[in-house]
Amino acid sequence: MPLPPPFLRELERIVGAAGLIVSREGLLTYECDMHTFYKGAPEAVVLPESAGQVAEIVRLCRRDRVPIVPRGSGTGLIGGAMAPEGGVMVSMTRMNRIVEIDFANRCATVEPGLINLWLSQATREGGYFFAPDPSSQMVSSIGGNASTNAGGPHCLKYGITVNHILGLEVVTGAGELVRLGGKTHERPGYDLTGVMVGAEGTLGLITGVVVRLTHLPESVKTILASFSSIEDASETVSAIIRAGIIPAALEMLDEVVIRAIEEGIHAGYPKGAGAVLLIELDGPVAEIEAQAAPIEAICREHLALEIRVARSEAERALLWKGRKEAAGVFGRLTPNWLLQDAVVPRSKLPEIMRELQAIGARHRVVIANVFHAGDGNLHPLICYDDRVPGELERAKHANEDLLHACLRLGGSVTGEHGVGLDKCESLPLQFAEADLNFMARLRRAFDPDSIMNPGKLLPSHPACGEGFRPTARPLPAGTWI
Amino acid sequence: MAVSTPALHDALAELVGPAHVLRDPVARARHAVDGLVPGVVVRPGGPEEVSRVLALCSSERLAVVARGAGTSQGLGNPPRRLDLVLELGRLAAVREYVPEDMVATVETGLTLAGLAAHLAPHRQMLALDPPGGDARSVGGVLATHASGALRFRYGTGRDLLLGARFVQADGTVTWGGAKVVKSVTGYDVPKLLVGSLGTLAILVEATLRLHPMPPATRSWQVGLPSYAGARAFLAALLDSPLQPDRAALLDAAGLRRAGLTPDPIALLLSIGSVAEAVEQQGQALEALASGHGGRIEGIADSAWSALGAAVDAPIRLRLACEPRRLLDWIAEGQAGADRLGAETALLAQPGHGVIQMAVWGSQEPRRVGAELVRPLRAAVEAEGGSLVLERAPVELKIDCDAWGAISPELLTIMKRIKTEFDPRDCLSPGRFVGGL
Repeated sequence: MPLPPPFLRELERIVGAAGLIVSREGLLTYECDMHTFYKGAPEAVVLPESAGQVAEIVRLCRRDRVPIVPRGSGTGLIGGAMAPEGGVMVSMTRMNRIVEIDFANRCATVEPGLINLWLSQATREGGYFFAPDPSSQMVSSIGGNASTNAGGPHCLKYGITVNHILGLEVVTGAGELVRLGGKTHERPGYDLTGVMVGAEGTLGLITGVVVRLTHLPESVKTILASFSSIEDASETVSAIIRAGIIPAALEMLDEVVIRAIEEGIHAGYPKGAGAVLLIELDGPVAEIEAQAAPIEAICREHLALEIRVARSEAERALLWKGRKEAAGVFGRLTPNWLLQDAVVPRSKLPEIMRELQAIGARHRVVIANVFHAGDGNLHPLICYDDRVPGELERAKHANEDLLHACLRLGGSVTGEHGVGLDKCESLPLQFAEADLNFMARLRRAFDPDSIMNPGKLLPSHPACGEGFRPTARPLPAGTWI
Repeated sequence: MAVSTPALHDALAELVGPAHVLRDPVARARHAVDGLVPGVVVRPGGPEEVSRVLALCSSERLAVVARGAGTSQGLGNPPRRLDLVLELGRLAAVREYVPEDMVATVETGLTLAGLAAHLAPHRQMLALDPPGGDARSVGGVLATHASGALRFRYGTGRDLLLGARFVQADGTVTWGGAKVVKSVTGYDVPKLLVGSLGTLAILVEATLRLHPMPPATRSWQVGLPSYAGARAFLAALLDSPLQPDRAALLDAAGLRRAGLTPDPIALLLSIGSVAEAVEQQGQALEALASGHGGRIEGIADSAWSALGAAVDAPIRLRLACEPRRLLDWIAEGQAGADRLGAETALLAQPGHGVIQMAVWGSQEPRRVGAELVRPLRAAVEAEGGSLVLERAPVELKIDCDAWGAISPELLTIMKRIKTEFDPRDCLSPGRFVGGL
């Protein structure tokens, strides 16, 4: 149902003609995030330039009960920044300035559309960086990172996005423009900043972010260890953590992924190895040297084929380029894939990797792996070809088995990508009805009319009881679930 | 229904056992909150008992204040009403601990010392050390968002609480968060509960991120001749590659009370790492300190647990400011206490802009309010900071409010949250910000 012309005129009054997109071709760009299966274009996209404009947009939409979907760079993997119910999408790409870098307080104030990496580039000379480093950091926005509470390889040492957010400026679903937290590290009252981070735009829209800046480490050491099997690599990860060493990053890539990376990016990963660990230590020189020795010993004990230390910044950068851009070469592996983001307790890594191989064999699908091993955060890539009848079903069954296996081991449905539309219906596997109900009521306190990113983050099943409202309109045709 | 009725006591006795329903006047007086004596003290033996007691309280509209070790009951405004104190000391079990995962799930009545003893054989720790912390309960530390010198490296309960089992006002046992170190499944409910002072729900189980104990640790006191010197040294330290794990800043009075050399002002630091790195960083720290005209001496590790003594006063203010303004506000606080003619000692968290200011004196609470709390609070609030009464005589809290101002827009949102989860206003009514 298209939005009525008077409503569109009011939107235009707020953001100007250049800030409003309503053409069919224009809207198509916004019909999905990087989880391209979920498609749903909004009926209008607005590109505000200030928090005041955002507040006006929300108040207008609230008046007419029009759904609002926030969007940063659209690099999410969960069907979060798409509009299953149509409505207005608020794109933050024009709000992308660094408002202030405050080295004396070791923080920065930025607009939500600012690209993650730009902030680290702007603060590097001063000796600081913004620690959250999702693989998408070259293109993803800090507002989007905050909204999904993004992780990244180095959150093993530095923590996830929420640990680096000091304050937010938000417009709640009730239309209130408020500042939460700020440059001071404590303030009385409920921690609304902590609640808003990771809320995926279901409580309100983030219009400003105060982030903590982290001092650049004195030195960095990147170690590549290859193994003949995933089991050996997994046991190595568990042994490193057990030894009380927490590297800055501890990533695993399996043979299938390495092959694709080497064909696409030529990052220098050893071809033919069953699995590779990318281990990075950073900090004071003496510390990383002293930690590197036992790590290398543990790798050797677990039958490492090769242990190689990056000799130059260029070599290190190339290894990370291969890792962070791995998703870009998936197309070389398979025409279609399902990407999981489940987590297991660290000690269960060897067990889940064995289970994962059994699941792949049982459902006759190839499962490729590139993931944050140190956190137990898996990213199995279940490959299929949708032109082959039955393959999608087999992939989905494998996906479900895998999810159940992770939860059985005490894990979580999503470690860093978020819930979005993709994992809504998986939440009841992890949470009881009362738990979901609590979250639904929390949502209501911020968004009394259920206009903020409806259909995302929480299951809409009416059986979940009070607080859960079925989505107003069914998913549009073409939506893949 | 009045809480003293025998029928209620019988009902409670049935839920938790008669031995755990305390109704004698002495026991009740011991559990008073800001002078308000509860009608009954109940000591549940597990989460299910907490649930049943709260369901009963909810249906009878009884006001409940949760109590851990009872060491920080001074925080918050006097409750509007108080019928029952829920004493959680019997919830002290370690429910799950797999050292390889570096995660533990414990009942919230467990003390930090109790937990530490459990983790020490595996050379792991919960990186939370609020002043006087050993005796404090896990739940109390989380509900009051207490922190100490370890915050410098590891953050606070906000960063360390991965998952929480809690009982809502109506008795519903609820879980939020996860038992793994990384999870973004739904809202981060544990964040909402940290620092909420038992006004939204009662924490009964906490799943906590643990850290390996560093293989080697050394601690130093860097005494500085002036506040300007301390400011410059602190900035240089934060901008250096040094990675202390604990940091605390004390004034001369604080140092004296903690049994340390009373420099005009001093930074206490510890570096925990592999022995080689401790050695190397120690040398770098010494060079940095002497470059700033500092006096550096090694101190015993036990100095850290003595810091609580520095600020153990009947009145304790907690001031939060922009980190770069820390030394200025320390000076402001002292000047305020001097004007009042009160003795004071300060303990601060460098890098975080948090100051605990202890005040001793025989001044009338009204005078303390008028001449110290109000002006200091007004000034720091004008800069976006806050001043909280962590401990104070009831009269002072009534006079000044324990929390200070909160913007009407924020308070509106917080009220909606409180009303959603505690519609009958049974959980610590009136103790939190804005009368919540």
